[in-house]
Amino acid sequence: MDTLFSIATVEAGIRLGLPVALAALGAIINERSGVLNLGLEGMMLSGALGGYIVNDATGSPWIGLLAGLLVGALTGGVFAGLVVTFRTSQVVTGIAFTIVAIAATTYLFQLRWDIGELPPRVERLGMWPLVALTLVCVAGVWFLFRRTTLGLTISAVGESPESADALGYNVVLIRWMATIAGGALAGLGGAVLVNGPLGLFIEEVTAGRGWVALALVVFAGWRPVPAVAGAFLFGLCDAAQLRLQGTATEVPYEVFLALPYVVTLIALVVRARRSHTPAALGDPYVRGAS
Amino acid sequence: MTDSDTRQPAPSVTPSPKSTWPPKLDGWLDAVARRATAEGILSSILVPLVSALAALVVGGVLIAIDGVNPLSVYGAILQGVFTKSRGFSYTATVATPLVLIGVGYALAYRARVFTIGGEGQYLVGAVAGTAVVTAGGVGDLPRVVLIVVGLGAAIVAGALWGGLAGVLANRFGASIVISTLMLSFIGDSLLQWAVRDGIRDPDSYNANSRPISAAALPSFFGQKTHLGFLFALVLVPIAWWLIRRHRWGFRIDARGHNPGTLNANEFSSARVTLSVLVVAGGLAGLAGMVETTGVNVRLGQEASVGYGWDAIIVALIGRLHPLGVLVAGLGMAGLTIGFESAQRQFELPSSLVSLITAFVIIFVVWGDAIAARWKESR
Repeated sequence: MDTLFSIATVEAGIRLGLPVALAALGAIINERSGVLNLGLEGMMLSGALGGYIVNDATGSPWIGLLAGLLVGALTGGVFAGLVVTFRTSQVVTGIAFTIVAIAATTYLFQLRWDIGELPPRVERLGMWPLVALTLVCVAGVWFLFRRTTLGLTISAVGESPESADALGYNVVLIRWMATIAGGALAGLGGAVLVNGPLGLFIEEVTAGRGWVALALVVFAGWRPVPAVAGAFLFGLCDAAQLRLQGTATEVPYEVFLALPYVVTLIALVVRARRSHTPAALGDPYVRGAS
Repeated sequence: MTDSDTRQPAPSVTPSPKSTWPPKLDGWLDAVARRATAEGILSSILVPLVSALAALVVGGVLIAIDGVNPLSVYGAILQGVFTKSRGFSYTATVATPLVLIGVGYALAYRARVFTIGGEGQYLVGAVAGTAVVTAGGVGDLPRVVLIVVGLGAAIVAGALWGGLAGVLANRFGASIVISTLMLSFIGDSLLQWAVRDGIRDPDSYNANSRPISAAALPSFFGQKTHLGFLFALVLVPIAWWLIRRHRWGFRIDARGHNPGTLNANEFSSARVTLSVLVVAGGLAGLAGMVETTGVNVRLGQEASVGYGWDAIIVALIGRLHPLGVLVAGLGMAGLTIGFESAQRQFELPSSLVSLITAFVIIFVVWGDAIAARWKESR
């Protein structure tokens, strides 16, 4: 157990928490505007592959991160087109979107690198620049919702699109922008995962982290700072699990494998009653329908 | 809702005439037409069909980009399913868990209960069933008893796993999408622990359970297709009957359209939520055990192959209708099996088939939205 409580575990926890934190921030922007983004996992995965391919081609992890951001924004745009403009069911579209993204990234990856061929390790970024990047994003999202009119407008659209529309705000446009911004952050999260200390893309590399991020948003009551704290907690569990896997201990390592999900489940139960769920979350907006 | 019409006799001034056979043709045609439009023939058959074709075209373009003639690939897929002796047998085997879990999803989605926890319930069912049939001292029991007890344990475990999400939703208002997802991940951890430690075969080097040979499901005609496929085939008409003719199915649809109606009639919509999650969970648990005892010899770490996720696609493409789920499940299984041989022959990426099925679902979602707009504009 000595190895469990060490600086290295905490460091690994931070490292593993960063992508989840970024994706959770993206989900907050989405959901505050009333768009439930169950495609988050798929957007993260798309950003991860985009970031990996561009980094591999250019040799620069920073350009890789930028590519992840752009790919994420693009997927966000496609999602917005479906759920905001075509008003498809957000739950079904989100799940379908993730399924497509998993299949598409695996396909592109298999097309590029044959089975058996070892995909190259790309240039990696250290942990601290990524921590700085994440902190900038947290501060940005916090500032957006606490200090700007735009943030207030986004929240208004998520709480009562009818009222926002009556006040002259363009609900469709704002939801489009929020969905694209959320997708961009999720894509960045995926790129951070791949261009960070890992330096490698494998099939389904995000391994459900996008879903965890979605759950964290509920846990955090749609506020950015608690969401990032939750992401760090998830990272710690993940790190503990990885550390215990090789060693024989009294506590099976699978407990730590399940722990983040158990914690999320408990948080879901404790939080749900007094949560600050955006009132119009999941509802497509049809002008003059109600 | 045509069903509600048939259930409550309309108050009539004149005594209703005795039913005659054959029924008057125009009246019968009218009823057929009404039923068809109530379900929406456009969205129930045309949208999935066009979506499947469109996805195959997109897949064809991708195959062509890869430098292979798509027609010969699709030809090989058809050949793999219909002309090879084992083709249909394998297809039925793969379709079995898809249909079992898919019908459960379909019932839940009809009630607008969006569970995505089939994978976890499948794994928990497999673990519980395997634990029972490989426990010490049960080996002497007759095979029939062992099979029934194993499947029963799996159904109960899956139902509990699904029901837990229902309780969390009803009592605490927890989102079912997120809670069933978390329970799926926890179920996978449970499987990992079970085969590594809990019910591990001490004589095996690999992390897996003892062989379940004593509880193995019988198979048909010396083929690979096992008894589980019969379960799936029987389940379809039962589910259909429940939806069309039973009170429970009526309540499911009522909750799906407006949960307030149920509560206004002093029937708790929470009970529908819970019951539908329990049933869907039980079916997924059954699928897990059926797969373990029908196809595999042991339960291993690799038991999570994603049937629980694929069945979501099957339920949606099958339009939440049991028969549709059966057709969609067979279609998806056929594509998978046929593609397996075509893929080796033409050296295509193995993920192409999941990409094509994923495109079907996106096109269905998109097509529904377009159909809805088209209806609005008329």
